Amino acid sequence: MVALTIDNLAVEVPEGTTILEAAGSAGIHIPTLCALPEIHHNPGACRVCMVEVDRARTLVAACVYPVANGMKVKTNSRRVREARQGVMEFLLSDHPQDCNICQKHGNCELQQVAEQIGTRDITVPRTDFTVHDIDDRSEALVRDGSKCINCLRCVTVCDQIQAVNLLTPEGRGFDSRIVPAMGHSLADSACTFCGQCAVVCPTGAIVEKDHTNLVWAALEDPSKHVVVQEAPAIRAQLGEAFGMPPGTLVTGQMITALRRLGFDRVFDTNFTADLTIIEEGHELLERVKTGGALPMITSCSPGWIKFIEHFYPELIPNLSTCKSPQQMFGALAKTYYAEKEGIDPADMVVVSIMPCTAKKYEAARPEMNDSGFRDVDVVLTTRELGRMLRQTGIDLKNLPEGDYDPPMGEYSGAGTIFGATGGVMEAALRTVYAVVTGKNLPDLNIEAVRGLDGIKQAGIVIGDLGEVRAVVAHGLGNARTIMDQVASGQADYQFVEIMACPGGCVGGGGQPLPATNEKRRLRAGALYRDDGEVQRLRQSHENPSIKAIYDDFLKAPLGEKSHHLLHTHYTAREV
Amino acid sequence: MLKKIKSFEALQDIARQVAQDHQKYRLRLMVCGSNDCHLTGSNEIIDEFQKQIQQRNLEDQVQVVATGCIGSCSMGPVMTVWPEDIFYMKLQPADVGEVMDSHVEGGHPVERLMYHDPNTGQAIAHSADIPFFARQHAIVLGNKGLIDPESLRDYIWQNGYQALHKCLTALSPEEIIAEVKAAGLRGRGGGGFPSGLKWEFCANTKGDVKYVLCNADEGDPGAFMDRRIMEDDPHAILEGMVIGAKAINASQGYIYCRAEYPLALERLYAALDQARSMGLLGKNIMGTGFDFDIEIYKGAGAFVCGEETALMTSIEGKRGTPRPRPPFPAISGLWGKPSILNNVETWATVPRILFDGGDAYAKIGTESSKGTKVFAVTGNINNIGLVEVPMGTSIGEIIFDIGGGVSGGKQFKAAQLGGPSGGCVPAAYLNLPTDYEAIVKAGAIMGSGGLIVMDEDTCMVDMARYFMDFCQDESCGKCTPCRVGTKRMLQIVENICKGEGRPEDLDLLESLSHTINDASLCGLGQTAPNPVLSTLKYFMDEYRAHIEDKKCPAGVCADLFTSPCQNACPVEMDIPAYIALVRAGRLADAYKVLKRTNPFPGVCGRVCGHPCQSKCRRSQLDEALAIKNLKRFITDYVPPLRPEPIPVVHPEKIAVIGAGPAGMTAALEMKKRGYAVTVYEALFEAGGMLRWGIPEYRLPREILARELQEILDTGVVLKTNVKIGEDISFDDLKSDHDAVYIGIGAQKSSPLGLSNESAAGVIGAVEFLRDYTMGKDVWVGKRVAVVGGGNSAIDAARTALRLGAESVTILYRRERKDMPALEAEVKAAKEEGAVIDFLVAPLEILVSDGSIKGLKLQRMRLGDFDSSGRRRPRAIEGQIVRMEIDMLIPAIGQQAELDFLSPATQIDDNTKDTVAIDAGGNTILVNKDYSTDHAGVWAGGDIVTGPAMVIDAIAAGQKAAVSMDRALREAKGEQPWKETEDKIEIPVEVDEEVETLLQIRIRELSTAERSRNFSEVELGYDEDMALREARRCIRCDVKTEA
Repeated sequence: MVALTIDNLAVEVPEGTTILEAAGSAGIHIPTLCALPEIHHNPGACRVCMVEVDRARTLVAACVYPVANGMKVKTNSRRVREARQGVMEFLLSDHPQDCNICQKHGNCELQQVAEQIGTRDITVPRTDFTVHDIDDRSEALVRDGSKCINCLRCVTVCDQIQAVNLLTPEGRGFDSRIVPAMGHSLADSACTFCGQCAVVCPTGAIVEKDHTNLVWAALEDPSKHVVVQEAPAIRAQLGEAFGMPPGTLVTGQMITALRRLGFDRVFDTNFTADLTIIEEGHELLERVKTGGALPMITSCSPGWIKFIEHFYPELIPNLSTCKSPQQMFGALAKTYYAEKEGIDPADMVVVSIMPCTAKKYEAARPEMNDSGFRDVDVVLTTRELGRMLRQTGIDLKNLPEGDYDPPMGEYSGAGTIFGATGGVMEAALRTVYAVVTGKNLPDLNIEAVRGLDGIKQAGIVIGDLGEVRAVVAHGLGNARTIMDQVASGQADYQFVEIMACPGGCVGGGGQPLPATNEKRRLRAGALYRDDGEVQRLRQSHENPSIKAIYDDFLKAPLGEKSHHLLHTHYTAREV
Repeated sequence: MLKKIKSFEALQDIARQVAQDHQKYRLRLMVCGSNDCHLTGSNEIIDEFQKQIQQRNLEDQVQVVATGCIGSCSMGPVMTVWPEDIFYMKLQPADVGEVMDSHVEGGHPVERLMYHDPNTGQAIAHSADIPFFARQHAIVLGNKGLIDPESLRDYIWQNGYQALHKCLTALSPEEIIAEVKAAGLRGRGGGGFPSGLKWEFCANTKGDVKYVLCNADEGDPGAFMDRRIMEDDPHAILEGMVIGAKAINASQGYIYCRAEYPLALERLYAALDQARSMGLLGKNIMGTGFDFDIEIYKGAGAFVCGEETALMTSIEGKRGTPRPRPPFPAISGLWGKPSILNNVETWATVPRILFDGGDAYAKIGTESSKGTKVFAVTGNINNIGLVEVPMGTSIGEIIFDIGGGVSGGKQFKAAQLGGPSGGCVPAAYLNLPTDYEAIVKAGAIMGSGGLIVMDEDTCMVDMARYFMDFCQDESCGKCTPCRVGTKRMLQIVENICKGEGRPEDLDLLESLSHTINDASLCGLGQTAPNPVLSTLKYFMDEYRAHIEDKKCPAGVCADLFTSPCQNACPVEMDIPAYIALVRAGRLADAYKVLKRTNPFPGVCGRVCGHPCQSKCRRSQLDEALAIKNLKRFITDYVPPLRPEPIPVVHPEKIAVIGAGPAGMTAALEMKKRGYAVTVYEALFEAGGMLRWGIPEYRLPREILARELQEILDTGVVLKTNVKIGEDISFDDLKSDHDAVYIGIGAQKSSPLGLSNESAAGVIGAVEFLRDYTMGKDVWVGKRVAVVGGGNSAIDAARTALRLGAESVTILYRRERKDMPALEAEVKAAKEEGAVIDFLVAPLEILVSDGSIKGLKLQRMRLGDFDSSGRRRPRAIEGQIVRMEIDMLIPAIGQQAELDFLSPATQIDDNTKDTVAIDAGGNTILVNKDYSTDHAGVWAGGDIVTGPAMVIDAIAAGQKAAVSMDRALREAKGEQPWKETEDKIEIPVEVDEEVETLLQIRIRELSTAERSRNFSEVELGYDEDMALREARRCIRCDVKTEA
């Protein structure tokens, strides 16, 4: 342990602790715009966290400066305050001042830190800005470099966490900017649209593309039949947008809210999550039996799909051909549901609420129109739905609980846990076990694949199949580790679950900000609670609505209709 | 197959062989083969020598060697002939034949091609006697001019690799580090961190893999010492690095060198190959079992990669941006491994330290800064080049003794030390020792040793702008203060340069500087504000001039003036306009243009110090335009104007005391503004110093009379023979007038401060000249001594000669270059027979019977520098000489007579309503607008500034008039006066091509014609001469739209 004083308080912390962390432990909040507590990228770039350390010639950056025995730190001297204000003036002098119309207004760390620092004036010239084009060509993300403060968080996340390494500093000095490699548009790059950059961005420099106006227009068009589906993770975090603690399950309020917004039907993506388990489980069994490409890798995470298409195109045959639950939903809404209700699919608008920015991209993929129409018309992130609800004045907290509409609203706990890393694997193993052995798993909770460890492995003996070796990875950096093993033949897994975002969908790029591991844990906990405590059914194949859709429409897993509507193909892409 | 070196004896064998090889030749012609000498043609010279040696069959006797840089870059191409040590400079291929004939074959070195002392004009044959070399102390540059940089054998001949052998066989790592610590070696790259301590940290850090790194990413503008060491003595770096590797137990080293240094890279690669093949690098070095190899990493030339952590990040293959410290590289450096990084100069010093021992090295230099330092001396200096001096050598010694002083005869203004991270120090700091701490205290840094000399034509605000621009351009952009802050500072400085600065910008710049310094991530940002901070500290007046007066005194910031000549003129005469009018033959218009801003153009055309000419753009091509002569030409050829009296429209009455140029100008300007003006003159005629102080042979009376008359014609009333304080009291004058302007000049010669100054035969220059011009019967001695170096001294000397003195000696305590007198005047005085004795000062006036009989003179030498940047004369003990004279004219300065101001007026009686006088009692203190603290009283001219140029007095009169008029009108609530002037169209005739053409010389009386009379010496231009001279104007005032 290291003993030091911070603002005359005696503090004792473990060796290697930064001043920022040590101060935090003493109840002193040192502002920062570039530090990321769980990533430790230590750029020391924004210089907002400057503090005074005895014997140091200049101020030091608290976020990177390690504590030492006997060190005396001042976090609130005049010198410190002036330096912070100076740095903040520099940042604001090269930052647009039209905060009121920024997507991050009220949720902007730059605003918050400026407020904490007490900035009231910008004395330096503001006549010269770095000029940037706004890159809004992709479906998912909008990048506005003029709002970028070069904190390097996105660069670190894109490189160290997601292993995409697309965002990079370019140019020198005042002209240096953070751009996709070679200055390309995100739309033309290897960006996976995972949105983790948007999650860490302290300003509005990278945000989700806002599609709420499209939804308003559809809802206001009497000729349209507008249906909505919500991803498994939404129910565990929409509450955060209304100040509720992370991990609050708001399923019923969410349904009521959506209905009040004016959706004609409120369905659930969990339903098609269950369906995915049926199709994917059978696909796995078939591959095992027929000697197909193994390990089979899950395909519900569109950021992950784009990643493998760019970086491991040779492993595309290993991807499950199953569409993601969102896309299965869209394809079935405009066929199965349309037929059943006698609605012209041309008049139907399918909206989905997703934790994910890449889902916007996925819905717009050209092959996603097996219903004869674009299967999913509009994708909103959790954040966008929160904004829509706030516009209407709906106070989620105080809404009565509603219930889903049939026939695509019923779901099992297995569908819900899709929202957490390992959930797809757990759900699939439950069903595969049942299909192969005709019995339920002795313990439906497969703890080995739960939690936030980057890579989780499990081996489960499933009847005649023997031991099925499964591995779960979340975050594309971890995915890369697994893929390198698979590509080099070192892996002996049969089944791989990959989620692009850390924590899975509960850590998605479209979720309420900011994201921390603690929040991811609490959100996942809510999903497991839904599975273990709330839902009557816990296995996908037990879902009566799933049985019904096979009986009425699809006939059999991997059947012809399934093949046409629920499965897809992938495209090798260049880096 | 080369035999690997495995013993000390093997090294000595090679050294012996090389020495024998050299001795075979009678003469060795060591031609500098460095880049700069290449550019000026050293290759051709080498070829020519080789050709001629062959033709003359001298191959066995004479050898030609291309050596590394010897540092005297502005003298190149240079050659030293060994073993005689005869030094030749500025060699041309055409000179080779003469050198071969006369020197190589004839044994008579060619004096013409030698270095000539700028003061004495004497040729100096041996490089050891040339101050540039003699005052240096070469250690790290010890091999310069001696070895072929591409020859490992030559390096070994000069004791190369012996230190390494010692380190590998006789010393433990601890002992090596102890030597480096004992030497007191500090990092030569800029930081000045003790190298031995750094090595020790690293040696004590646990780790199997450690790295030795060499920073060869030299990037300061003007710095090239590291490049030269790499090019000229690459093995010294390698040897140093291997020694460092042994000290910390590393097996791999990297040299990080910018790709813009192709020759350095080529020589390094070659040296690495040679060293490996001889067993001095690689596996089992010198058979000792020690392994170490070096790889070269080529950087793309980003300045920030000179920062150690950025350099390592770059070697790691990433974008070269700095990372936070701690951890320090000695703990976690390249690829996270313990590493030591030193720059080229540091590494090249290491073998010398280990060879001679740390204690020997520590004897050189100062207490805290040991050893020698290489400086790259550039800018406005005569001897541009590389110099190595013991630390502690003053920057004045480097600039003036070694560097040969400021080029072009200009005044020294500042030295920029330490590159973009450094700072500028003014003339008052020429005694500053080159010691790490002392330089930091002065606001600069040692840096890597860049020393840029700046002369009077440098604008310090523009200079700060340049360095700020450099830093903001080279900022990596990683941290906010450096990325945005340097840009914002640059914008502010740019605004100031454009005349858009605000008074509050000065405080803002200072506070931004502190923020950037305190909050930046790496050294680049932390030091980026230094050039601004140091110029704010020492050159605040220049910033103020840009902000408050919208004026760039040095004539650099182009947005603030139309032409540099006009900018330099205190009254901003429209010089390009009247010269264009001369060219167009419109002399009457030209005269009107002259008169707009200067009531005394004829006077100024003769006796002005013409600061305009020193800024003339044409001088960059050949020679400045003769603006003074053209001005005079116009007044010579245009008949006097007969101005109508200007009507009085204001009730206020103005009094002007003193009818000199300041007073008469103020009077005219107030008259123009419609006031009743009376000038009170103590003597019987107007003109002041122009009338009484300047001899007629320089300024004929009728010229002055004409211009004074043109002023009186406007209705200015002149009352002569009225002495304020005697004939009218100052208080009465004050109460009779609404505004009083004091322009009485400085009328008394300053005494020398010796006893017997009242003896007969001693008379001050001002009194002497005035007595003569007033027609008094002036006694002149036979042997006259004049003490002083200004224009008055010269005037007194030339007048004494004209009045019959047999000999006139001007005694001056400094050197010729320090004399403030105009160059042409000094020359004329010498032509007329005056003798100037330099470095001498009167010590005692010898008197007999109340009359002067002689002087005891103290011989002087030049010591340290005073605040004006000139060396202080110091007595040479025991060197006292006697001089027989019968007349002594002190001309060392002038004093004012301020007795007319009553004590009540002078002394602050708590009303503050006084005319304040400076402590010496010689000048009146005024505000910026020339008002005194006594309401209604203004002052200007020599009485405010001390003796200055006529044009300064004219400017003072004008500015005071503007301020008086404004004050009087403001009291009545009126708007300030605006001049209505006739529109004169100025032709724009610009030659497409400018040919080299020197000034048209003015006609002069011959020495014989002028020697004993007061006829005007200069005769001016005729029309043809004037036209030709006017055509030399390149019209730099004409701005074309880009």
